[in-house]
Amino acid sequence: MMRRALVWSLSGVLVLPLVMLLLLSVARSWPWPALLPAELQTRQWRELLAGTGGLGVIVVRSLGIGAGVATLATTLAFASSRSVARHARRDQLLVLLHLPFAASSVVLGVSLLYLFLRLHLAGHIAGVMLAQLVLAYAYAVILLVGWWNTEVQSLEDLAVALGAGRRDVWLRVLLPLARPLLMVCLLQTFLISWFDYALTLLIGDGQVTTLTVTLYQYFSSGDLRLAATCALLLLAPPICALVINHRLLSATVSTPLDLQGD
Amino acid sequence: MNSRKGLDPWIGLLLVVTAAPLLAGLGFMLLYSTGVIGLLAEGFTLRYWVRVLLDGQTWISLSYSAAIGGVSLGASLALAFALQAALGGRQRKGALGRLLFLPMVVPPIVAALIGVELLGNAGLLARLAHAIRWVDRPEDFPALLYTPSGAGIVLTHMMLVVPFLLLLLDRLALHESVAALEQVARTLGASRWQAWRRVRLPVLMRASAAVLGVYFVVLMGAYEVPLLVGAQYPSMISVLIQRRFSQFDLGTRPEAYVLASVYACLATGLLLALFAARARKRTRERGA
Repeated sequence: MMRRALVWSLSGVLVLPLVMLLLLSVARSWPWPALLPAELQTRQWRELLAGTGGLGVIVVRSLGIGAGVATLATTLAFASSRSVARHARRDQLLVLLHLPFAASSVVLGVSLLYLFLRLHLAGHIAGVMLAQLVLAYAYAVILLVGWWNTEVQSLEDLAVALGAGRRDVWLRVLLPLARPLLMVCLLQTFLISWFDYALTLLIGDGQVTTLTVTLYQYFSSGDLRLAATCALLLLAPPICALVINHRLLSATVSTPLDLQGD
Repeated sequence: MNSRKGLDPWIGLLLVVTAAPLLAGLGFMLLYSTGVIGLLAEGFTLRYWVRVLLDGQTWISLSYSAAIGGVSLGASLALAFALQAALGGRQRKGALGRLLFLPMVVPPIVAALIGVELLGNAGLLARLAHAIRWVDRPEDFPALLYTPSGAGIVLTHMMLVVPFLLLLLDRLALHESVAALEQVARTLGASRWQAWRRVRLPVLMRASAAVLGVYFVVLMGAYEVPLLVGAQYPSMISVLIQRRFSQFDLGTRPEAYVLASVYACLATGLLLALFAARARKRTRERGA
């Protein structure tokens, strides 16, 4: 009985912030000390759906940046992770790949900015994507490297022994086998870009506006309703993924298991 | 395992995209912070380094970041252990099994917004406190946000970290067969508390040590949450670096680079020490 009550309470606590954001995004007024908004309005959502106020463009831009970074990172990491997994210095390479995550994204942004200014990449979408790729590519390799086990190696060898060319091995053996994990990787790397604020702020140099940047702008200008609307838009894609298949996110927990003491 | 001769092009590309920008960035930071390059460069000087290293705010900010990271992680870990014991496996079943993933899809900037709406003086908790007649006015509710204690930062971090740690501990417990080990301890006469304290706790702490270490480094360098719910002073290190970097006075930029270099070296050193300790442990265990 107590356990059931705890399960229900915990479920409530986990859903509460989402409900609160939803209410905030449709509240016209929410005076103290009311627990629910006094009046509701749908202005923010109507404006968004009508594409006025530029929020629609920002959503599309953020989605485009996220999709581009995820596709690039996953594609490159699929090939690179194979080489890392079979390299004599695999452990050292993996340590190296964790380093971009050690310093905070602010330090990463600050350190990359001078280089990106020199390369005329600062203030451009391409520059923001490249900066995010540093994190996304490294993360994707860390995620995929464990997949290249001896069983996969045997299947590769078997395909070659049966006459498959290099291209066939990749397209007809490895890609179909790895598809579920590649989907996980695509989502996770998309989220790295989709959630990024600091790198976009610093490398974007105020010229690249994404949803996280817009959320901060609304927040600092005191418009918490529009900030909540942005927050819900930020949460929508990963929550959809969670509803469709929560295993797409479980890698977030499984990946660090590689770090555990044996 | 194959030992490759020469540099594999895919590893080369990986290093060019991930490690090379980091090293180049660090190089630029060092050159900028020593006055060799930059808009106001006047030739090599260590005055920015001396100024930052002698500035008490640098060390306060670093210690504050470490303390906030440590307290956030410690409190989250304690709560995750308590919930694991109280739920007894129910976290794997039904809706809760999926809902625990929910905080993992919340970016820090949204978590900060939720923190403000939940923990602020006119937030939902304050309104609930009013509903149960604990407070009359918003200012009667204890200040949790923008305070030097960092309570708002810790609580917001906990919202994100506790579910992750609960899921992690659960998976580790299954992986390490902790339930079976506890059962053996109980059969040998251990009480429930003794089985938890002498079996579950040490096994899971040992298994999760490296992950917790990485998480500590990540929390120490947090940016969005302290920016939105933290105090102006003391600031966590990422916020301090960003503020110095974005000031109109370009003279503070080399100082921002000094701070960023110091923090990058510290965080990287911590992570490398963590991996080195793990590698030593593995070697010892293989030798045993």
